[in-house]
Amino acid sequence: MRDTVFAIARNTFKETIRDRILYSLLAFAVLAIAGSWLAGSVSLGQETRVIQNFGLTAMLVFLLVITIFIGTQLVYREVERKTIYMVLTKPVSRDAFYLGKFLGLALTLTVVTAVMGAAFLGLVALKTNTVSAIQVVAIGLMLFEAWLLTAVGMLFSSFTAPLSSAIYTFCLALIGHASTVLLAISEKSAPIVGSIIQFVYYVFPNLEKFNLRNEVVFGAPVDWVFVGWGAAYAVVYTGALLLFGIAIIRRHEF
Amino acid sequence: MLTLKRVAKKFYQTRGDVPVVQNLSLSLKKGEVYGFLGPNGAGKTTTVKMVAGLLFADEGKITIGKYAAGSVEAQAVIGFMPENPQFYRHLKAVEVLHFVGELFGLDAPTITQRSEELLRQVGLEKSANEPVRTFSKGMHQRLGFAVALMNNPAILVLDEPLDGLDPIGRLDFKKLILKAKREGRTVFFSSHILSDVEELCDRVGIIIAGRLVAEDAPKKLVRGQAKTLEEYFVKLAKQHA
Repeated sequence: MRDTVFAIARNTFKETIRDRILYSLLAFAVLAIAGSWLAGSVSLGQETRVIQNFGLTAMLVFLLVITIFIGTQLVYREVERKTIYMVLTKPVSRDAFYLGKFLGLALTLTVVTAVMGAAFLGLVALKTNTVSAIQVVAIGLMLFEAWLLTAVGMLFSSFTAPLSSAIYTFCLALIGHASTVLLAISEKSAPIVGSIIQFVYYVFPNLEKFNLRNEVVFGAPVDWVFVGWGAAYAVVYTGALLLFGIAIIRRHEF
Repeated sequence: MLTLKRVAKKFYQTRGDVPVVQNLSLSLKKGEVYGFLGPNGAGKTTTVKMVAGLLFADEGKITIGKYAAGSVEAQAVIGFMPENPQFYRHLKAVEVLHFVGELFGLDAPTITQRSEELLRQVGLEKSANEPVRTFSKGMHQRLGFAVALMNNPAILVLDEPLDGLDPIGRLDFKKLILKAKREGRTVFFSSHILSDVEELCDRVGIIIAGRLVAEDAPKKLVRGQAKTLEEYFVKLAKQHA
């Protein structure tokens, strides 16, 4: 099974990496990161902070756009174009197919993050002549978030159309980034409303566990416990989403 | 080699279940070419997809050799070609075959050797390094056939392999099917091009409204009832309309 998973992952990586739209998005992302230099130059005495904040936010936004754009189409497009017939009629379990698709896209996102990260770190190094560990770790956690959202997008795309999947994944990303605010609201709300909000807080992914932008901007040291919990959270949550997706695709007829 | 026992399949729609295949039983012997005929919507593709493991039978049992259809073991011994085969648009013809070889767990030298051999066999050797998105329908069909043969299968399952081909393409394809028969492969294919079926098949099964209504060697079916298989088929279709 391992070999077929890797074969499908390699093919998915080739498929996504040869997509021209990916390059357009990546070019815009690098331009936006470079634009943080401009934003920094108009701020008074806060250039480095603004460059880091603007650059990391641009990275996150484009990573989310790429994740949602590709992740929500991946399985659906296979079914729509009937290329899935070529794979599932071979000695390939549906589990291997689904995992392979995920790993291929995860690899593409890793490459995309590496390119954007290099642009960001290059810009910071140009400004400050140094790159700190917290900046690298922040980019790493962003990648974990992208992997988790890929699993979300794939799950939705296994039973709904790409546009709906994209909307659901985007909403989940918004909720995920508002999770700490949600928890604060739940504490001040009426008990029933508070319980509902707490349910959303605990069930939906808490994407703030991958947010180190403030720490980067204020030059805080790396909190390895926070990073470790974030990584473990991503692995467990992504694993659960993949299992859920596999359960759906096992019953799917094509 | 391939056995279907009392197979049934319904499609679920809001206005109720629609039976597509009902109580279908048939059995193919080793090395036999079996034509599965029927008008549009008769249940041919649904049956073929159940054999290939893309759809699940609601009732009954489909076995390939000793394995249940859809199992990884069964998929390893069949070669499947869907109606209008589609491929990843970013791949070249040779890359498609390499990918399929990897899915079958073949080693790299075998994949390379088999890809070259099959591309030559289906007449695509000059287009081996062209992206499949530039291929015509006929070239897609040829590549689909090469994909189906990649694992040197004991049984070939082909859904409308002659559909939409020009006369030369059809002739080439018939030669490929006959070659597969000479090599001892069992061939199960659906079609509604009756003249070709009559020419190629040892036996045919006719399915109308999900039920197998006739099954025998083409000549035996027609004898005393019609001049050609086409005439017999039309007569049968009218009877069951």
